[in-house]
Amino acid sequence: MKVDVDMSICLLHGQCVIAAPEVFSFDDDGGLVWVAEVDEAQRADVEAAADACPEQAILLG
Amino acid sequence: MTQETLAEAPYLDVAAPTFSIRSQAVLDAREASWYARTNYGIAVLRYDDVMKLLRHPKLRQGSYRWPELSDVHGGLFARWWGAMLLSQEGETHSRLRRMANPAFSPKLITELRPKFQALANKLIDGFAAKGECDFIAEFTEPYATGVICDLLGLPFETWRELADIAAEMGLALGVTFKQDLATVEAATARLLKYAEDLVALKRANPSDDFVGMLVQANADKSQLSDQELLDMIVLAIFGGIDTTRNQLGLAMATFIEHPEQWALLAEQPDLARAAVEEVMRVRPTVTWVTREATEDFTYNDLPIKAGTTIHLFSQSATSDPAVFPEPGFDITAERKPHFGFGGGAHHCLGHFIARGDMTEALKLLAQRLKNPRFNGEVKWLADSGNTGAITLPIAFDPA
Ligand code: HEM
Ligand code: HEM
Ligand code: SF4
Repeated sequence: MKVDVDMSICLLHGQCVIAAPEVFSFDDDGGLVWVAEVDEAQRADVEAAADACPEQAILLG
Repeated sequence: MTQETLAEAPYLDVAAPTFSIRSQAVLDAREASWYARTNYGIAVLRYDDVMKLLRHPKLRQGSYRWPELSDVHGGLFARWWGAMLLSQEGETHSRLRRMANPAFSPKLITELRPKFQALANKLIDGFAAKGECDFIAEFTEPYATGVICDLLGLPFETWRELADIAAEMGLALGVTFKQDLATVEAATARLLKYAEDLVALKRANPSDDFVGMLVQANADKSQLSDQELLDMIVLAIFGGIDTTRNQLGLAMATFIEHPEQWALLAEQPDLARAAVEEVMRVRPTVTWVTREATEDFTYNDLPIKAGTTIHLFSQSATSDPAVFPEPGFDITAERKPHFGFGGGAHHCLGHFIARGDMTEALKLLAQRLKNPRFNGEVKWLADSGNTGAITLPIAFDPA
């Protein structure tokens, strides 16, 4: 499945990093990075991250 | 910047009973400097710095040592305080937050919305004909507590008892914590017992509601222990009642000062969601959040020592004319985000619930209470820390 983040509304709370650390992380400059294509095994974690994002900035496809 | 300029930064006496986060002294300090010195560490005054420091990896939540600083060692409250989500950092915080997330999902709010509406209407029915009420005693307090009852699956009639227990436990946050210790301990014990009974009920009758979701998370004890499950329920009760009560009271006070905005909201109920955001920008109940430096670091050329307390002044930051050039209160304006729910790792876990219940309340209130006005003396909490009205007598024309 595809993972995208709408960086125009993301506020870098890092709740996605807490919910799905193997998919979302912060780089050394504090920017958000994520795995754009994840396999089915990670679906539950990624959905939990999208659910928990306070800005609802995570798009799953 | 050198230590010399640190000594020259503005000074704010945040512990003075007359201190106000909206005072000229704070505005002047924000104009002069991005931070001020205070009785306890520094205060950060401007938007961009509050935004950055809420997410700073060298800062942790700052009230975790409160019982110890109040000379309270051990006991039920101090144990709970140290163990609960807000006081935790790093891996433990992440694990607890992951376990709690499903119970706070925005999906559950959709189901709760009709309950919020029914509760708001029932409370308004209770005083509408009079054309006046104490908005706190007759609306925001029973509403905020009633929402928590709905969340926990408790009958509405439980609200008074729950509100009283939370208020007694809340004495722990005051300067007289040590004197009030016996009351605080008794209230903490009662709330934990409440949580235990709820959990027992849900274990017997599994469900997908709030407590049901937490009980499911607790099925794997290595992820959420029995004690952590109870602590989380206590935190939801304790952290959800006064905040919502105060924020809705501040909303009404703000709208009374801007009657044309209230009329607009009555005409266009869809603005209620935006109204919540605009109220929380200009009058957040949580006027500052506290952080503590975990190691020495430098920020904006200012050396900050490990252990320094840092108050992030949300109220001051989101009224900064440098960032919000259109002054005033306007529920139709496009604004940058506020910090009323904090931000970063500790961003309010209950915000979907709080945003949902306040939206429904404002929508119905604007429909049913026309021309609200102050109707007697308003009693306020200090205009700092967590603020709001204690009594808010209003008069209105029933619709
Ligand atoms: C208008 C109402 C509310 C406001 C203004 C509010 C505000 C906040 C703020 C500012 C924080 C962050 C504190 C910090 O960083 O030091 C916070 C955290 C929290 N809030 Fe809320 N809150 C509200 C309602 C609720 C409700 C209804 C619940 C639960 C049902 C809740 C549960 C929590 C929890 C559990 C945390 C701790 C999160 C963590 O440490 O990871 N809040 N809230
Ligand atoms: C969940 C939402 C909560 C929010 C948003 C919140 C926010 C705040 C804020 C803004 C302050 C003032 C700044 C400070 O000194 O830290 C504060 C102080 C404090 N809060 Fe909370 N708090 C929350 C929950 C709790 C809970 C559950 C407790 C537990 C009993 C608590 C205990 C305290 C204490 C002990 C202080 C210090 C009081 C003082 O310095 O006078 N808070 N909180
Ligand atoms: S939780 Fe949402 S807002 Fe926060 S960093 Fe992740 S995507 Fe951005």
